Amino acid sequence: MRRLLAVSLKELRQLRRDRLTLAMMISMPVSELLLLGYAINTDVRHIQTVVLDRDRSAASRRLVVQMQSTGYYDIVGDVENYADVARALRSGRATVGVVVPARFSSDLTRRRPTRVQLIVDGSDPQLLGTAIDTASGLAAARSAELATPGLPQTHARPTPAPLSFEPIILYNPEQRTAVYIVPGLIGVLLTMTMVMLTSMALTRERERGTLEALIVSPATRLEIVGGKIAPYIAIGYVQMSLVLLAGWWFFDVPTAGSVPLLYLLAALFIAAHLALGLLFSTVARTQQQAMQMSFFFLLPNILITGFVFPFESMPLAVQHLAQVLPLTHFLRVARRILLKGAHLEDMNAEVVWLAAIVAVFIVSAAVRFKKKLL
Amino acid sequence: MPDSNELVVDAQHLSRRFGNSVAVRDVSLQVRRGEIFGVLGPNGAGKSTALRMLCGVLDPTGGRAIVVGHDVAREPEQVKASIGYMTQSFSLYTDLTVAENIGFYASLYGLGGAERRRRIDHVLRESELDARAHQLAGELSGGWKQRLALVCATIHQPPLLFLDEPTAGVDPLSRREFWEQIHGLATAGTTIVVTTHYMDEAERCHRLAFIFHGEVFDSGRPDEIVARAGLSIAEFVVDDVDQATYLLQDMPGVEECAHYGHVLRLAVHGGAEAVADARARLERAGLALHDVRETRATVEDAFVAMVRRERRA
Repeated sequence: MRRLLAVSLKELRQLRRDRLTLAMMISMPVSELLLLGYAINTDVRHIQTVVLDRDRSAASRRLVVQMQSTGYYDIVGDVENYADVARALRSGRATVGVVVPARFSSDLTRRRPTRVQLIVDGSDPQLLGTAIDTASGLAAARSAELATPGLPQTHARPTPAPLSFEPIILYNPEQRTAVYIVPGLIGVLLTMTMVMLTSMALTRERERGTLEALIVSPATRLEIVGGKIAPYIAIGYVQMSLVLLAGWWFFDVPTAGSVPLLYLLAALFIAAHLALGLLFSTVARTQQQAMQMSFFFLLPNILITGFVFPFESMPLAVQHLAQVLPLTHFLRVARRILLKGAHLEDMNAEVVWLAAIVAVFIVSAAVRFKKKLL
Repeated sequence: MPDSNELVVDAQHLSRRFGNSVAVRDVSLQVRRGEIFGVLGPNGAGKSTALRMLCGVLDPTGGRAIVVGHDVAREPEQVKASIGYMTQSFSLYTDLTVAENIGFYASLYGLGGAERRRRIDHVLRESELDARAHQLAGELSGGWKQRLALVCATIHQPPLLFLDEPTAGVDPLSRREFWEQIHGLATAGTTIVVTTHYMDEAERCHRLAFIFHGEVFDSGRPDEIVARAGLSIAEFVVDDVDQATYLLQDMPGVEECAHYGHVLRLAVHGGAEAVADARARLERAGLALHDVRETRATVEDAFVAMVRRERRA
């Protein structure tokens, strides 16, 4: 017993000296709880919605207000035509487009069945379900309300409901999860590999004492770091290509947009993580610590970027927090290009965010690196 | 022995502070071409910091140093290109083969094409590593690793070679062979600056500098340093070493009494007279004294005496 205690005590002492591991062990339960608690919430509210109102009547405006008051639809704008609806959905400005037909008001008054189109972005299956279900519920309620003043229910012929929504699913209409997951998987894989490999590659050199030899050699800092990370960039692109190919081959994942554009924007994403890996390598003293830090970083990437759980379902504070993760932006880029065929101009915000993150990461890595290399 | 007065290292009042602490204080060193220059000092004395400044990887906060004709602060790149540096950990990639390690360092130092090929073949043969060229460096024994590390550090034939505790963890035979190689390099004109803990190695250097608390305490040829310490060494072969130690340890001028089995090794100031005095003490106490041998003081004796004096002060 005394010996067991002695071993335990020694273990605790060592743990206390390993500040990094200790800090992670303490912060892990809380951060995971918060991340998971906020992230696992598939009840999507505040779905961004654009309205194409072809009736422009009091009744159509009332419908829109009712939709908004469910709390599930946030009306982000009115548009003029179908092309605008398509553009809003492609660029991610909106997930749902509501098209109120002309004669909506008159159809209602004449008790003719009227159908409102609900154009839904199907690239996120979880959003889609909520968007359609809520609308049907609303239609049923409105229909019941409209039916009441008329003949009693018992005498009524089985007529079509006066108001119904006609869902039109754009992108991934068959609702296959693989189509939704695969583009995101590219991002998750790259995040994991790039951060872990670069941070470990440099700590390994330090741990084994080879970094010292590199520093005293005539090789410049850029040559050392550039040389070390170049192979990992190549590995990143190979991984990306493999996922794309396998996704296409096994799951029939579409490539609606320009693959070269995706590869180009992936460079920003990869650069961000290489810089972060370098930054980690200046903090971690051992490869083990580098790996722990990488895993710690990976967790929020999986949970709050919209990879598994819908981004829109998270509280605003968490959504803001997720903006600093490159994956949040790259996920959108990858899904929009692959599933929706988006062009560069559909992703201005994401590209700006990615570029800003890259700049911040590179500058901090360079500053830390300069200090710690010697 | 070096036959030239050309200075390969000329450090004048070199200092380095980190925040409020001073790691190296006012160090001046001159190393001549073809010389093996030893830097001695306890751990944390500032040896590594001094070495790093001489390699051009750490800027001095005071003083200046010209290494192989270049100012370390202003032209660190030229300095780096003309030195070799072998670290304590040998800086080998254990998951690369012997030939791959050599090839990597050759390229790192700018060798290319046919010249690189020729040079690699040459050093592989010369170091007898050719039979192990395709073995992983991690599988080599300590002695072979050290040999490989030396080959890697000298692949570009630098005029100046820094060795940072190059024989740590290496068996005695390999250490001897290693020093033969070092002397061979020096004879061929390479200047060598070596830090070491092993005092027998210190004696194999042409000149030495003792660094302690960031300052140079003494420097010169090993025999000069030993002479300056003014120690006489006597070995008493007695049955009861403990009793002998008890009798001698508080004698005036005694620097150290050390046990070596049945031998008491006495380091004392005061020359032959002090030794005779010690012998008389033992005889008066009636100890069975089998033999008394006077031997030469070593660098280690001088070094230990110097550190003790400093700690007392």
